[in-house]
Amino acid sequence: MSRLSYPLYQLGNPQLRIFRPNWLLTLVRPGKEQPPDTVQFRIPMDMTKYDVKNYLEKIYNVPVGVIRTRIQFGENIHSLFYSQAQGQTFTFPDIFPEKDRTPKEGSMEEMQEKFMEDEKQRQKLDPRRGGVTEWFGL
Amino acid sequence: MASSSSLGRVLTLSKQLQSVFRISPAISVQHCVVNLKRCQNNLLSETFSSFASSWITPISFVGQHRALHTTISRRGLEEFFDQPENWGESNVKSGAPWTAKQLRTKSNEDLHKLWYVLLKERNMLLTLEQEAKRQRIQMPSPERMKKIERSMVRLDTVVKERETALRLLQTGQEKGRPGEWRRNVFGYEYWYRFKEYTIPWYMNKRHKRKKFYTPYFVQPHIRLRIERFLRERTRKASLKKKTLAKLKERFPQTKLPSS
Repeated sequence: MSRLSYPLYQLGNPQLRIFRPNWLLTLVRPGKEQPPDTVQFRIPMDMTKYDVKNYLEKIYNVPVGVIRTRIQFGENIHSLFYSQAQGQTFTFPDIFPEKDRTPKEGSMEEMQEKFMEDEKQRQKLDPRRGGVTEWFGL
Repeated sequence: MASSSSLGRVLTLSKQLQSVFRISPAISVQHCVVNLKRCQNNLLSETFSSFASSWITPISFVGQHRALHTTISRRGLEEFFDQPENWGESNVKSGAPWTAKQLRTKSNEDLHKLWYVLLKERNMLLTLEQEAKRQRIQMPSPERMKKIERSMVRLDTVVKERETALRLLQTGQEKGRPGEWRRNVFGYEYWYRFKEYTIPWYMNKRHKRKKFYTPYFVQPHIRLRIERFLRERTRKASLKKKTLAKLKERFPQTKLPSS
């Protein structure tokens, strides 16, 4: 659990451990072109580079190289880059591929699609008017 | 818990194997239990095959009752994304969130593991949400985010309950972080939580500027505050009475709550 104030550390104290961390990481597609071994995350403001390194290594079992951070203003995000250890590449996958969705016969989706099509047809103007609105005219 | 057939099969098999090899039941928690009735049959068949392979190898019979635990999900960065079958779907099925009652039946180990499972799922949903915003597409089944959040909050409360109970039994203290009731400059009493410093408070110049008492000239303001509070209270009560009287006048037969 990430606390607001950590206990003080003096030489000889045991290593601070955090059980059940509450930090959330968001993998984002980088805005600019990045080398293939770089992955970009959004992290909360109270995470440090060591925290991120341990988080990824322990929870996700991912080998981590250099971590670079920067602060992104807006809605309190903390952008971060990190590069993987030797030779591993990562490409951001296409999570929303086009899938042919043919709804089943008699299903809700089919009825919804039909309804939407009917609505659109009703809202279309009279084809005999050739694209002119019906506001004017007879 | 064996609602769907394949899930039931996995769990019954795990129970049988438990009795034979004395494996801790925590392994079965991993993938099958993110949301209770997750009907992803592919996932279950995958985990079943990896169950078998992972159970047979690392078992030790050295007289201890607990075998080695192997984490099944070691896919690294792929865990930030959903299964490839669900990419592009408009609806992804997910079960009910965890309730506090259900979580209280679980052991501490199980809860610890479940926390990380939920955390990874939440990270995955966040990445999905962000990517959907980027591509200007609707995120499939956004109700999962709320379910996960509530489950995590409930898990946290259950763990905190157990911690306080243990602390009360062992030390007699209810709270882990020491504190006391103090009065601030505005006349309010609040629970002040102690913070760790390297020097004592009387040597801390900045801390001494903070006042934990109410000066005498604040008393009139406190009195005005009390007056305002009392006035609000009486106004609310009289408003209630008036509305009830009006209703009684308008509908004489109805039974109104006696207040």
